[in-house]
Amino acid sequence: MNADAVDVLIIGAGASGAAIAWSLLEMRMRILCLEQGAHMDDRQFPSRRDDYELARYGEFSNDPNIRRRTQDYPINVDDSCITPVNWNGVGGSTINFLAHWPRMKPSDFRARTLDGVADDWPLDYAALEPFYAMNDRNVGVSGLGGNPAYPPYKPELPPIPIGRLGQTLARGFNRLGWHWWPSDVAILSRDHDGRQKCVNAGTCDLGCAAGAKGGANFTYWPILEGAGVELRTECRVREILVNQATGLAGGVLYHDAEGRLHEQKAELVIVACNGVGTPRLLLHSKSNLFPDGLANRSGKVGKNLMFHPLIGVSGVFDEPMKGHEGPMACSILSQEFYETDAKRDFLRGYGLHSGRSTTPMTYALGGYGIDNPIPWGAEHRHIMDDVYPFLAGLTVVSEDLPEECNRVTLDAEMTDSDGIPAPKIHYRVGDNSRAMLKHGRERAKEALLAAGARKILSSDDDKVWWRAGWHQMGTCRMGNDPETSVVNGWGRSHDVKNLFIVDGSLFVTSGAVNPTSTIQALALYIGDSIKNNAGNLFD
Amino acid sequence: MWSAKETDLLRLVLDALIPPSNDGRVPGAGADVAGFIGFLATAGGYAHDPNGCVLRLLDFLARDSVDFTALTPPARAALLRRAEQERSADFATVLRLTYMRYYSRPQIRPLFGLSARPVHPDGYPVPHEDEALMRELTEPVRQRGAHYREAAEGAGR
Repeated sequence: MNADAVDVLIIGAGASGAAIAWSLLEMRMRILCLEQGAHMDDRQFPSRRDDYELARYGEFSNDPNIRRRTQDYPINVDDSCITPVNWNGVGGSTINFLAHWPRMKPSDFRARTLDGVADDWPLDYAALEPFYAMNDRNVGVSGLGGNPAYPPYKPELPPIPIGRLGQTLARGFNRLGWHWWPSDVAILSRDHDGRQKCVNAGTCDLGCAAGAKGGANFTYWPILEGAGVELRTECRVREILVNQATGLAGGVLYHDAEGRLHEQKAELVIVACNGVGTPRLLLHSKSNLFPDGLANRSGKVGKNLMFHPLIGVSGVFDEPMKGHEGPMACSILSQEFYETDAKRDFLRGYGLHSGRSTTPMTYALGGYGIDNPIPWGAEHRHIMDDVYPFLAGLTVVSEDLPEECNRVTLDAEMTDSDGIPAPKIHYRVGDNSRAMLKHGRERAKEALLAAGARKILSSDDDKVWWRAGWHQMGTCRMGNDPETSVVNGWGRSHDVKNLFIVDGSLFVTSGAVNPTSTIQALALYIGDSIKNNAGNLFD
Repeated sequence: MWSAKETDLLRLVLDALIPPSNDGRVPGAGADVAGFIGFLATAGGYAHDPNGCVLRLLDFLARDSVDFTALTPPARAALLRRAEQERSADFATVLRLTYMRYYSRPQIRPLFGLSARPVHPDGYPVPHEDEALMRELTEPVRQRGAHYREAAEGAGR
């Protein structure tokens, strides 16, 4: 291993770390990425095995507390109603994400101005739009142009099939006069750029053995490694070091696969560990200059954690819906109730997402992300024979507002295998989100009935999906005011001028859409800003 | 090593949890009792002490010299409901493992429309909607016009 100082050190090889590395390639600097997990090729993904579905509940669970691979760190979720899910490895959580690819909307960046709630972002949709487009080209996005819910843009590839399930639901939305549109997805609808198209296997969460899903492992990393970016795997960063004289980041301490500690010096440090991992690392990087954690003079590191609280509603139809066929979670999306409406008892809004790929096993065990098995005995037989094949569902995906009580801290006792404190999640669903979910549940029922459902299956309790913490946002928010934000409008720490953050922790608000498209667009935007400010980067 | 008596008892328990269909088209979980016992040996990644959970449940069902195998199906179900209440953790683990083993079997998946083989490399054939159908479906949405707020213009669509 070459321990010489590098120009750029990126911590994390997931969606954002890969995107900014790509952006910085043209500067011809020495770029090193440290990743706590390993490379995994498509032959290691479980969907080629007879018992592939079992992997979802064991070594390929999206929950690190269940998966417990060597590269995973435990997460204390005793004080949370949602547990974070992720993947640690080259590609990060794009290994097992579902590749739903909606953009945030113009109003998402102006929640304070438009609705008097949360804060405005220090940039807007127009500033980010070129980077959405750039990233879409790199990733390979399928969808249908002309979606009236957005300013004009057109995905490069045609939409993936929405299937019988999507067509049925679409007709229901049309009967109600509500918005819907085929989902934008980072999944190839046809062979493209040397990659194979989707085969509708429905195992997006198990790694996509076809390589059709736009995970960073399939898109950015082959280019980056070919271009000379050094990727050091199974290297877990313990702490970011700060020069106590200059106040600049000097590099990191990291553990290799055997637990040995190394120092790596760098001129510029970029943190890309997402909304739980990034605050964890900063909070653990304490020094005399930063006794409360690195870059935390605002006290905002770890605070304002946002997820997207979810609930599901299902309808039972007369015809089999073939819900197991096609990419998971991506068929059609209604944004009828996305924007604030003064007549409702909540601000902001939510999306109604059609779900697919519910298999007999996932359904019997309670549904994806839920641990609540269906009844046994004669009722089981009835449900599986007479209900399951005829199901179509809608998921209510609500915008989560930033609240300081929702936060990531360091656990006092729990550690990972290298002795680094585990993150602890403190999270409860706010009143606004609860009102939104209640509204969404009723609208989902209406939509399913309008689509022809003969029966609605819905829980009326206020529980949200437990294993739904995919979208981890807000814990190192960007902003123009150093008193209320961790980084500036282009991702640079207010406190440490050569430290950048590029992941979901930057989000000022969460929107009500899957965030990876925005995370990567932001990383490219920040990369562009670094290049544009190269002459006075640390001033 | 499981005794014949334990195996017989377990077969009945599994069939009570996932019964066969009346027409015989779909087998009950008990038909695969040997496979289930084999699965337990590898199920440590899915549950803590899988064998122990099953054995404790069987012990509960056999307590007070009850002969589970001699009970009528409704009586077996009633006793299992008691176990569900009084040995809830063990019961929940056994139920979960039963579902996992049963629905992971290549012989079972096609009965619910899935492929018996692994889903990769072939997946499922799902035809793309043709342009005319997609135009017909989306036309009402297009006709209603823009459905987002121009942030620069403030509230209102």
